[in-house]
Amino acid sequence: MKLASLTLGAVAATLFFSSPPQETPPAMVSCYESLADTILAVKQTEEHFVRSLLDGHYHAAKAYVQRGESARAAAEMALFANEGDNAIGGVRKRLLEGGHHHNAAGEAKGIYEPGFVVVTRQAKQEALAAATAMRSAADDEQRKAAWEDFSAVAHGLMPK
Amino acid sequence: MRRDRLLRRIQLSTALALAACGPAPGERPGAGPGPGFYFVDVAAEAGLTRPTWCGRAAKPHILESGGTGLALLDHDGDGDLDLYLVNGWRLEGASVVERGRNALYENRGDGTFVDVTEIAGVGDDGWGCGVGVGDVDGDGRPDLFVANFGPDVLYRNRGDGTFERLPDGPGFDGWSACPVFFDADGDGHEDLYLSAYIACTLEEVLDAQPTLDWKDQAVMLGPFGLEGAGNRFFENLGGGRFEDATAKSGLADVGLYYSFGVVAADLDDDGDRDLYVANDSNPNYLYRNDGRGHFQDVGLWSGCALDSAGMAQAGMGIAPGDFDADGRVDLFVTHFAEDSSTLYRNLGDCLFEDVSRRFGIRQPTYAPLSWGTCLVDLDLDGLLDLFIANGHIYPQADQVAGTSYGQANQLLAWDGRTFTDVSSTAGPGLAVEESSRGVACGDLDGDGDLDLVVANVDAPPTLLRNDSARRGSWLLVDAPGALCVTAAVGDRRWVRHAVRGGSFNSACDQRLHFGLGPADRVDELTVRWPDGTETVRSEVAVDQVVRVSR
Repeated sequence: MKLASLTLGAVAATLFFSSPPQETPPAMVSCYESLADTILAVKQTEEHFVRSLLDGHYHAAKAYVQRGESARAAAEMALFANEGDNAIGGVRKRLLEGGHHHNAAGEAKGIYEPGFVVVTRQAKQEALAAATAMRSAADDEQRKAAWEDFSAVAHGLMPK
Repeated sequence: MRRDRLLRRIQLSTALALAACGPAPGERPGAGPGPGFYFVDVAAEAGLTRPTWCGRAAKPHILESGGTGLALLDHDGDGDLDLYLVNGWRLEGASVVERGRNALYENRGDGTFVDVTEIAGVGDDGWGCGVGVGDVDGDGRPDLFVANFGPDVLYRNRGDGTFERLPDGPGFDGWSACPVFFDADGDGHEDLYLSAYIACTLEEVLDAQPTLDWKDQAVMLGPFGLEGAGNRFFENLGGGRFEDATAKSGLADVGLYYSFGVVAADLDDDGDRDLYVANDSNPNYLYRNDGRGHFQDVGLWSGCALDSAGMAQAGMGIAPGDFDADGRVDLFVTHFAEDSSTLYRNLGDCLFEDVSRRFGIRQPTYAPLSWGTCLVDLDLDGLLDLFIANGHIYPQADQVAGTSYGQANQLLAWDGRTFTDVSSTAGPGLAVEESSRGVACGDLDGDGDLDLVVANVDAPPTLLRNDSARRGSWLLVDAPGALCVTAAVGDRRWVRHAVRGGSFNSACDQRLHFGLGPADRVDELTVRWPDGTETVRSEVAVDQVVRVSR
C-alpha cells in the first residue's frame, strides 16, 4: 500500500511539473477516474457478495424445510436476517472501524443497521420473526406460514 | 439480618420518629422499615471504607469506565462469606499515582469485616477488572482468578486461610473482564472462560484525551472505533496446568466483539453447561456445549443475541435465573443508558424470547446505565426479584440535564405477573447514588436472606444489608458440583441452577438459595449432578443450610 502511494506521488510530481499550473493534470483526473471505477466496482462487488451469501442461507433454509428439519431451517433463516454469522459480523465490524459504511445514507435515515449491505432493519426484524415462528411451529401449517413469511422478505433481497 | 425483637422495635420506633420529622438526609421520602423491601448501606460500619480506583476523575480512556468486580466466597471454610474486592489504578494526568491493591475481607460474623489481604497473600496490585471463583485443583476449596488490564492472576487456596499465586496460570496480558470457571468437558476439572473487551496499551490509556462529542460534552472514545480483544478458553489439564483451547473448543471470538458479562449454565437442559456472553454494541454469543467440551455459537438464531427488534444492544451484565418457575434458566441482560435492559425467557432447546415489554422491564430500565445484576429472591416470597447496579461511564453526564454520573441502583420485584420498580420504597440503601459496577449477592450474616455488595468507581463499596420484611421461609443448599437443585412443596416446585459467572465481572455465593414463601418444610429436595444421577432428600426442614455431597 505504501509503495503504491509513493509511486502515485512520484507520478503526480512528474505530471505537475510537466503541465501548466492552476489545474490538476488531466492524466491525474483520468487516473482518479479509473480509481473511482475500481472503488465503486468493489462496493458493487460487496453487494453481490452479500446477496450471494443471502442466497446460500436461503437455499439452505429451503432444503431444511423440505427435509422437515425446522430448527436447522430456522437457524439459516436467522443467519439470512443477520447477513451472515458472527464471523461475518466481525468482518463487518472491521470495515466499520475502518470507516466503511456501505449504506451511509441509509444508516443515517435509520433504514439500515451500521455496516449492513442489503438487509434493512425492517427486513431483518421480519425475517427473525419468521425464524422464531419456524423454530416454535407446532405443525406443518405453522411451518408453511413461517416459510411463506420468510420467503416474502427474502425474495426481494437475493441476487436479481 | 439477625435482629432481636427489641432491636427491631427500636429501629421501627426510630424510623417512625424520623418519618414524623421528615426524611433524613440522603433518605427518600416514605422510606423506612415496613412490610416490603428494606436495604441499608452498612459498608462503613462494617469496615469496608477503602475506595476502588479506576483511572482519572475525567475518564478520558474507556478503560477508566469499566470499574471493578468483587466476589463472595468462604475462603477459610469457617461457614460464613468473605469478600474479595478487586481494585484498579488511580491516575492523574499521564501518571499512575496509585496501584490499587485488591483486598480480601474476612467476615467476623458480627457484621464487621477485617482486612486479611496480606496474611492471605492475595493483594495483587495489577489494574484489576474482574474476579472469578472456582476450584481449579478439585480440593473443595475456592480458588481465585483475577482478570486484570495486564497479566491475569490465579491464586490457589492452600486451605489454611492463605493462597499461593500460580506462576503459569491461565490468562493473558491485556484487558480481560469476566473469568468463569466451569467443567466444560466433564473430566472433573474446572476450565476457564475469560471475556475480554478492548485491545489497548497502558501508553494509550495514559495519553488518552476525550475526543468524542456526547450531548455537547467531550468524552472518552469507544467502544466503536477501537479494536476488540479476543475472548479465551483455557482447558484445565489437572495439576495446575492450563492450555489455551479457544479454537479447539469452538470458542474462537470470531467477531472480536467487546465482551463483558459471562454465564456458564445449562441453558438447553441437556446436562452440561453452555456459555452466554454479553457483548457491548454487538450481538451476544450463545455457545452450545455438546457435552464433550466442544461448542457451537447459536446466538444469532437462539433469540438471545438481539432484542425483539433484531437490534444488538450494549450488553454489560447478566442475571441468570428461573423467574417464571418453569425450570429453565432465563437471562436478564443490562445495557447502556437510554436503552432498556432485556429479559430473555428460555423456551427450551436454546430458544429464547425477549419478554421485556410484556413483563414491565422496559420503562424502569430505560434511563439508567446498568451493570451488575442479580435475579434472586430478596424477600423470601418464592419469587425472584431483580437487583440492578447503575452508574454512568461519563463523569460529564453531571453537566447534562436528565442524567448523572452517580445513579441510584434499582430493585424490581416480580409478583408472578410483572416486574415493578420498588426502589423508592426499598430503604436508604437503594437511594445511594454512585457509579456502580459489579454486584455480588449472598447471605453475609447467616440469617437466611440475601445481602448485596456493590463495587463503585472511585469510591468504597456499598454493602446492602437486607432488612426486608420476611415473606416466607428459606433454604440454602450447598451442593458442590451439582448442576441444579429442585425443591418441591406440594405441587409447587422451585428449580435453582448452579450457574457460574453472571452479574458484572463478579462472583456471587455459589450455594443455591431458595425463598419458599409460606412453606414450613420441603417435601422433596432433588440434587441433579452432571452425570445425570440424582440425590433426593425428603421432609427437609426449612430455614437452614443443607449440605449435599455426591
